[in-house]
Amino acid sequence: MSVVSRAVAAIPVRTSVGTWEAITDLLAPADTAGRRRLEEVTNIAAVLITAEYTQQEPIVVMPSSGPRIRIRTVHGADAEEARTEEVSLASSPCAEPGWTLSLPCGVDDIEEIRAALRAHPGFEVRDLTEGITVGEPVPSAVAEDWLINYDELENP
Amino acid sequence: MNTAVRVNTTTYAVTHIATNMLGSIRAIIKGSGLNPDRIRDQWDVLERGFAAWLASGHLKTATLEVYDTSKRGDNLVGRFDFTIDYGYYPGGDGDLWLDPDTVAFVIRKNGSFPADCEYRIVADCAPGHPTVPGWAATTYRSTAGFTRHAVGTAIGGGSMGAGLAYYTRSGK
Repeated sequence: MSVVSRAVAAIPVRTSVGTWEAITDLLAPADTAGRRRLEEVTNIAAVLITAEYTQQEPIVVMPSSGPRIRIRTVHGADAEEARTEEVSLASSPCAEPGWTLSLPCGVDDIEEIRAALRAHPGFEVRDLTEGITVGEPVPSAVAEDWLINYDELENP
Repeated sequence: MNTAVRVNTTTYAVTHIATNMLGSIRAIIKGSGLNPDRIRDQWDVLERGFAAWLASGHLKTATLEVYDTSKRGDNLVGRFDFTIDYGYYPGGDGDLWLDPDTVAFVIRKNGSFPADCEYRIVADCAPGHPTVPGWAATTYRSTAGFTRHAVGTAIGGGSMGAGLAYYTRSGK
């Protein structure tokens, strides 16, 4: 699966809400259903941006078709340069229905954010210490069932 | 060119302080055992207010008021103030910084509130402040019987600093 990455300038160039608005600009055209879904989670996303979780691990968008999108936010002294280097996407991954979005989160906040996102189908939160596992193939049950028979190893 | 840099510095300082002040208030809420849902649900309104009133120079203090709804009358149980000093860095070119240790110290010294306590965010603004949708006029709860403890500047940027103080019942 192909992946497209983007960086979006955050605090202090933009407020946390302004940063999420810039991300929604990337992902969905104005006045579309996708845009409204993104706007409905503004406060939740802004909390995660303020905590800088989105700097450590990307927001991951899985469109119904086309490449997966990874978006990181850039904070502090690097944010100004990041703003001058922002590039829009070739298409709007949230313009068509069927997309999902994963937000990174620290362990201290993950239960709160998971509960808040229950009202927003298609959005999920993941522990940023676990890296990116969104949509990755799950190891088969057969592989997990391998056992070493030590008795057999001791046989001549 | 100098003007542009200065404008950016001021704008960035406003954004930095507004967002991190809100983040620090949330840290106090969570660290004090209060439910963070309310501040999260109001995040956009709160941040827009802080940013607008810092930019206009009207914001004097951003306050977290904690109160006990089971009590009538004066039901304040705790309060945290971020007081803005617009001349903290006289040259106006201070770095953008946040001291989470100051916030952590306040959380540790204050302790936890009972889980059924409520809270609200109050912005004390100078007269003539611009209107920000979602905010309504109010007055502070009485702090009679409380002692104010100033712990130093927690957030700085541009010419501004945000000093943090917390209140405890006298004798606590």
